[in-house]
Amino acid sequence: MNPVLGIAGYVLREAMSRKFILAFVVGITLVLSVVALSLRIEVVDGALAASRLFGNELRASIRSVDVALRPVYTAAAFIVFYGGILFGIVACSDFAPSLLSPGRIEHLLALPIQRWHLLAGTFLGVMVLAVGGTLYGTTGLVLIFGVKAGYWTAGPLIAGLMACVGFAAVYAVMLTTATLVRSAALCAAAGFVVMVSGIIAGFRQQIAPMFEDGFSRSAFEAVTLILPRLSSLAQAAGNIASSTPLEVNSLGMLLMGVLVFGFGALAVGFWRFEGKDY
Amino acid sequence: MDNRRRRRVWLGVAGLLFVLAGVLMFTGQGDKLPEEEPQVEFPRRMRGQERERAERRKTWVMPTVVDAGTAAAERPRPQDPLLAALPRGAGRTAVVIEANALRHSPIGELLLDCMMRDGGKELDEFRKKSGVDPLQDLDRLVITDQGMMLSGNFANAKFQELMGDAVSMDYGQGARVYEPGETIVTGPDGNTSSVHRRPAVGIWNNQLFMVGQNPDDVKAAIDRVEGRGPDEPPTIPEGSTYGEMYGVLSVEHLARLLPPDQAELAQRLRDVAQNVELHVDATSDVALVAEVRGKDKDQVTDLGKSLGAALSLARMRAQAEGEKEMAQLLDFARVQPDGSSFKLEMAVPLSVIQERLAFCKEERQAAEADAGVR
Repeated sequence: MNPVLGIAGYVLREAMSRKFILAFVVGITLVLSVVALSLRIEVVDGALAASRLFGNELRASIRSVDVALRPVYTAAAFIVFYGGILFGIVACSDFAPSLLSPGRIEHLLALPIQRWHLLAGTFLGVMVLAVGGTLYGTTGLVLIFGVKAGYWTAGPLIAGLMACVGFAAVYAVMLTTATLVRSAALCAAAGFVVMVSGIIAGFRQQIAPMFEDGFSRSAFEAVTLILPRLSSLAQAAGNIASSTPLEVNSLGMLLMGVLVFGFGALAVGFWRFEGKDY
Repeated sequence: MDNRRRRRVWLGVAGLLFVLAGVLMFTGQGDKLPEEEPQVEFPRRMRGQERERAERRKTWVMPTVVDAGTAAAERPRPQDPLLAALPRGAGRTAVVIEANALRHSPIGELLLDCMMRDGGKELDEFRKKSGVDPLQDLDRLVITDQGMMLSGNFANAKFQELMGDAVSMDYGQGARVYEPGETIVTGPDGNTSSVHRRPAVGIWNNQLFMVGQNPDDVKAAIDRVEGRGPDEPPTIPEGSTYGEMYGVLSVEHLARLLPPDQAELAQRLRDVAQNVELHVDATSDVALVAEVRGKDKDQVTDLGKSLGAALSLARMRAQAEGEKEMAQLLDFARVQPDGSSFKLEMAVPLSVIQERLAFCKEERQAAEADAGVR
């Protein structure tokens, strides 16, 4: 068996044993169930004619169902994107520190695998967890609105997967931080900093003019050039979820860029981990 | 590979990946600010500018009857003479076109190109013959179910020349009515009747120009302006004078405007709606708000749903046929139910109108160039 997959499986087993991961899954299920049971939608020839939530009629205009559901899907995409990353930061912050904790790391290092396999496996395990949770939540949402409104779109699913790419960049930095300091709190803090920086990086064109022309602006532009542009990705996820035109030049390039940043951060982690004495 | 070398490789790879990430993200996002989404401003209420416009138009103080002094003297408030001249009562049609405002809008420019496709010869001829310059002197144009009214400055108008053999007479306090001659017509049953060959025309204070099917319609309009009409509110209240086109359409008129393939919808309109208030904004894109009122709340809601569905289908058709711009603007189309009434909002992009009327500009330029050569 591939050592990376073996470690990923190990991480997944550990995640399953944690109660709050289970609570997260139950939480998503509950939210989806409540939406499914409480929402009534009346569609006439592709137009959303009326909707009721908990039996109360929602005062909304009659318009094409896909246009009417746009705000819902956009909001869902943003919640999945930012909420998912935030939850991921909190829920996964102590995977790597506990894996590298004394007593455990010696056992893992004694296995016939290379050091980078350990980190890559942890990264893969966490990403499988993130993709699984996202697919579960977004598929549920697509099914509910598809059945109720007769409007089927893979938009929210794609938006969810894009959120996972954003989380990959954030978690790679968290994992690398764990190789520097074995602290779940600092890992979470690093993840949070990358997330906020990523939001700022996405708005770099709008923010840059606020800096004085010269060194400070150039420094801001240089730093934000390589940071993962999470807010741009979130906006693109919202656009895809709501089937509106994309505002970015090339979504593929942007996604690749964010993912490659994650791999870059992971490579720094490998560099650090390879030279560390345990 | 020894550990130190492997570490150097990882560090090199990391550096390369960060550079690659920067390039990819820069190219992917682009360094341009995102374009603003097209916004259409629907005329939903009176705006400050329109309120000022309405105030400026209140120039006419209706004369009051002097009594013995028993009733408390109430100072008459100035009115907009055009609104006062409109037909009164339910089920009437009156649509006001703000000709002057429209003339100075992008749509107005396009329409002007179409009007002047002959290089403006016909317009010049009309100016000379009538003494009225529609581009300067005309303010508003109203279409009612009894005829047509124009407001503006008609001090230089040569009505007598225009009306030919029409008999003219003073009427009321500041009006003059031109009655066209009558012709005896023999009907299919052999009976004879007298009919007017041309519509009757009235001019009030050189501000209002009224055209009616017969002199009585014109006189009735003058009576309404001068306070001798029925004591009912005007068809269009002052608070509804917003947009570049506004008014009230009787359901019967609206149903007749629908194409034959929409006969079912026309019948439902007749059955359910009482009247339709219309507002069109043409300052950039053409945005329309129509408020349909009826007696039965459920039937009105059902009608709103049918219209909403029709708009949704039109949007889907536009998407399927690749009419991206039209589909994008139909995104704005919606029906807003509100008890026994609903508002229908629709928009047509300026670019679509520009494209459709582009030939007018070309023909006008060609005609003007041709006139220049001669």
